[in-house]
Amino acid sequence: MAPDQTTAAPVPLLSVRDLHVRFPTERGTVNAVNGVSFDLYEGKTLAIVGESGSGKSVTAKTLMNLLPRTARVSGEVTYDGRDVRALAAEKVKHFFGVQMTMVFQDPMTSLNPVKKVGEQIAETLRYHLGRSRSEALEEAVELLDVVGMPEPARRVSQYPHELSGGLRQRVVIAMALACQPRLLIADEPTTAVDVTVQKHLLDLLDELRRNRGMSMILITHDLGVAHGRADDVAVMYAGRVVETADARTLFFDMRHPYTEALLRSIPRIDDPVHHRLDPIPGRPPELIDPPDECAFAPRCIYAQSDCLGGVPELSGLVGLHRFACLHPTGTERGMAAMSSNRAAGATAAGLPVTGSGGGSG
Amino acid sequence: MAGTGHAQLRDRDDVLLRVKDLVVHFPAGRRRVVHAVSEVTFDVVSGETLGIVGESGCGKSTVARAIIRLVDITAGEVLYEGRDLARLEGEDLRRVRPQVQMIFQDPISSLNPRRRVRDVIAEGLAVWGDDIGSWSRDRIDELMDAVGVEARYGARRPHEFSGGQCQRIGIARALALDPKVLICDEPVSALDVSIQAQILNLLQDMKRRYGLTVLFISHDLSVVKNVSDRIVVMYLGKVCEIGSTEELYSSPAHPYTRALLASIPEPAPTVDVSEGDIGDELPSATAPPSGCRFHTRCPRATDVCREVEPATEQVGDADHFVACHHPVAVEVALGAR
Amino acid sequence: MSPDGRPSRKGRASRQRLLRRFRVFRLVRSSKGPESDGPGEDEAVRRRLGVGFWLAVVWLVVMAFIALFAPMLPFADPTKVGYSGPREPPSADAWFGTDALGRDVFSRTMYGARISLAVGGFAIVFGMVVGGALGILAGYFRGRLDQAVGFAFFVLLSFPALVLAILITATLKRSLLVVSLTIGILAVAPVGLLARASTLVYAEREFVAAARVLGARNGRIIVRELLPNVVIPMGALTLLGMAVAVVAEGSLAFLGLSVAGDEAISWGKMIVDGAGLRDLQNATHVAMFPVVVMFVTVLALNFAGDRIRQYFDVKELAF
Repeated sequence: MAPDQTTAAPVPLLSVRDLHVRFPTERGTVNAVNGVSFDLYEGKTLAIVGESGSGKSVTAKTLMNLLPRTARVSGEVTYDGRDVRALAAEKVKHFFGVQMTMVFQDPMTSLNPVKKVGEQIAETLRYHLGRSRSEALEEAVELLDVVGMPEPARRVSQYPHELSGGLRQRVVIAMALACQPRLLIADEPTTAVDVTVQKHLLDLLDELRRNRGMSMILITHDLGVAHGRADDVAVMYAGRVVETADARTLFFDMRHPYTEALLRSIPRIDDPVHHRLDPIPGRPPELIDPPDECAFAPRCIYAQSDCLGGVPELSGLVGLHRFACLHPTGTERGMAAMSSNRAAGATAAGLPVTGSGGGSG
Repeated sequence: MAGTGHAQLRDRDDVLLRVKDLVVHFPAGRRRVVHAVSEVTFDVVSGETLGIVGESGCGKSTVARAIIRLVDITAGEVLYEGRDLARLEGEDLRRVRPQVQMIFQDPISSLNPRRRVRDVIAEGLAVWGDDIGSWSRDRIDELMDAVGVEARYGARRPHEFSGGQCQRIGIARALALDPKVLICDEPVSALDVSIQAQILNLLQDMKRRYGLTVLFISHDLSVVKNVSDRIVVMYLGKVCEIGSTEELYSSPAHPYTRALLASIPEPAPTVDVSEGDIGDELPSATAPPSGCRFHTRCPRATDVCREVEPATEQVGDADHFVACHHPVAVEVALGAR
Repeated sequence: MSPDGRPSRKGRASRQRLLRRFRVFRLVRSSKGPESDGPGEDEAVRRRLGVGFWLAVVWLVVMAFIALFAPMLPFADPTKVGYSGPREPPSADAWFGTDALGRDVFSRTMYGARISLAVGGFAIVFGMVVGGALGILAGYFRGRLDQAVGFAFFVLLSFPALVLAILITATLKRSLLVVSLTIGILAVAPVGLLARASTLVYAEREFVAAARVLGARNGRIIVRELLPNVVIPMGALTLLGMAVAVVAEGSLAFLGLSVAGDEAISWGKMIVDGAGLRDLQNATHVAMFPVVVMFVTVLALNFAGDRIRQYFDVKELAF
């Protein structure tokens, strides 16, 4: 969206390079994130879209230094010229939660059920900004007002369980905003709430971001949310970014077959009634000992033998449209791959392809 | 949203299920009750898919569970083939059960972790074994094949399958008894996006293959539109709007329906995005608002809405009924564009 | 569907029955197919029970064997007074020495396993059956039954266990059955509460609703859907409960309320015999050997029970 904003600062606020996260488990090593790189510029929103197991939430938690101790992380994360992983290792105070904050899917993960919400916001202010008790409480009321909480003066003395899910999430957002962060990471912030509330919360985040010049990483499984609310979108699959571009390009001129298939599989409000959906066959891959091939190849109607010969690199310039595919949709190579698969009746990975199933879009 | 009245009932011979003035109250301690479902009326004709849509707390799942008698009915009728399911008890109720089956939201929770999936699917046949005759292994194989779970995995336990596979197993279990009515309670909302379409298509195929009548409950307006012939919109235990899917989506008349359509991330073209700006506090279901239950959030609310509960009335002469004192007329809707 | 040459239905059914019996101890094992997201063989390997578990099991099996066949084994007569001199220290002849009456402590310790294990085993089985049944019924049916059963459990729990035990054993003839029942009654409430709690969890699950929708009667739902889920956490506690019961018998013995009669030898009674001041000063071995054997047995029960509990903690999710 908003091509007029492309004159952003040349240095990204957050830069992630070749991030890998592995978890040793009883069953073997889970390769949760496999070489994720992206840049986020001041004032922009990046949506990271993916299904469960795609590594989107692990990526966010890595940025916030919230991974369990067992996780093995490699790669570079730079925030405003500072090495975030080094800051985490040194246990620097007043960075996480101040410069960078996070809002989770379930507001109760960030709220203490036995403390009044006002006190919880005030605590953040007192700890990070050294406010006095009364100052902090006053500011808490203001913050609740900012996030659109009705009757903020009364709400500060309520407990989380007295609030609806939407209002709780507003409290969490108020806490996140308390220290004027420059980067807000929202991990599925509206997944647990109803659509009418979701709209309010997304509008609120949008407005706050604009008014305060904040940057935002919006993690979501909902393509619609990503479409309406992000400048750039990164699509993740099996721990990798498979395609990233500005939102418009990604949704209307995508190159990765997974992006295409995902968009094609969801029912849309303006589709005709009883419109036959185009599901993605199969299911997401195992993250333990993944084979050395494109992770989407077994489900991809474009798959050729070279897709099975190694993991395709994310190609293209950082910041522009990039995709990790050897036979991208909407290109000649993609068309050729599709027609050869149709002629053969199956892809190189053995997935049956019928004449009608998807393709030339 | 008051939604009393029976204008939406159809006078047809092929009505299979008729829910009339259904009321479900749950005790909430200190002599208070949750008004989960209040005087809900609708019908389902044979072979139809009826969608019930609404946000959490609107009572849509409770309606489903009341029809199937998993929750106690406080008042009202559930007429199925002329018999009132609400009045059936004990063995009489049990004998009707095979005809109305259900698919649950959480595919993992709906399968017994200690049983093999083949036994899970065969449970219905095993329960009714005496009446149906010895159940056959072929029938189970056929069902597993129909829902796309390979029969050779029948000896495994549910935790060895993914969520999508578990939902397929749940569908096979429900179909084993050849039901006439299949109630689907949010069957895809716990699944990943790429799996949802597989299950929706499967349900559509099963409906055709086994001649089912479907009650489809969901909070997702796009999903409901995709599968339903007719839709009921509910709010706080009441029906706001009922109509054929085309009618309802092309000219939504109830302000709440319009708000829903305007709130989704990619709003419907028939409404204005600003119509989604309704307050975000759902009133308490223990003390629901007087008059129209939606009046506390409704942009069109007037005094009459606070006092008088609207009855469902037909919109024009289409298959479209709305319970609102100030419905949005079709012309106005077009003007708002 | 399955292309492989399938054996006949009958053959297959009997093979499956056999497998099922065999698999009781291999719940988490499964071969992994292309369509499955579940744990594979590697998990089974990692979920082994460990050497300690097997040591514990060997000890328990040996004790159980001795308890069952003590009269047929070449032990000295445990009741024979003056087998040797009184309070003789351990020797090649009397391995554990002799007690104040000159009875062979080794032989008595071995015979003591009979009553200690019998009381422990019987008590916990009683507790499991009665408490488990009441707990499951209360948790499933809720309502009045639940209130009544819950009240009974709390009365049992609030009533001082020792007083109850003294009341029963002091008024009735202190036979093996009475002592076992006494301890068994004390086990009913804790086991019942556990069964009720896990029943409540599972009764809320949608597979129970699904079974009801299919037309299953309550009995079938309890037996097919709830019992398999509830019985395993309970069953894993059997050994732990038995350990408690063995100790409880010892405590009763200390009060002189264990099984009556000189022929009825139990570890608890032996410890009491050896716990007089003179014995403790001059012949520690009289009390020490039964203490050690009882301690090791209780430890083995606890250890094995805990490992089994972990082993049966089957995951429901593949992740």
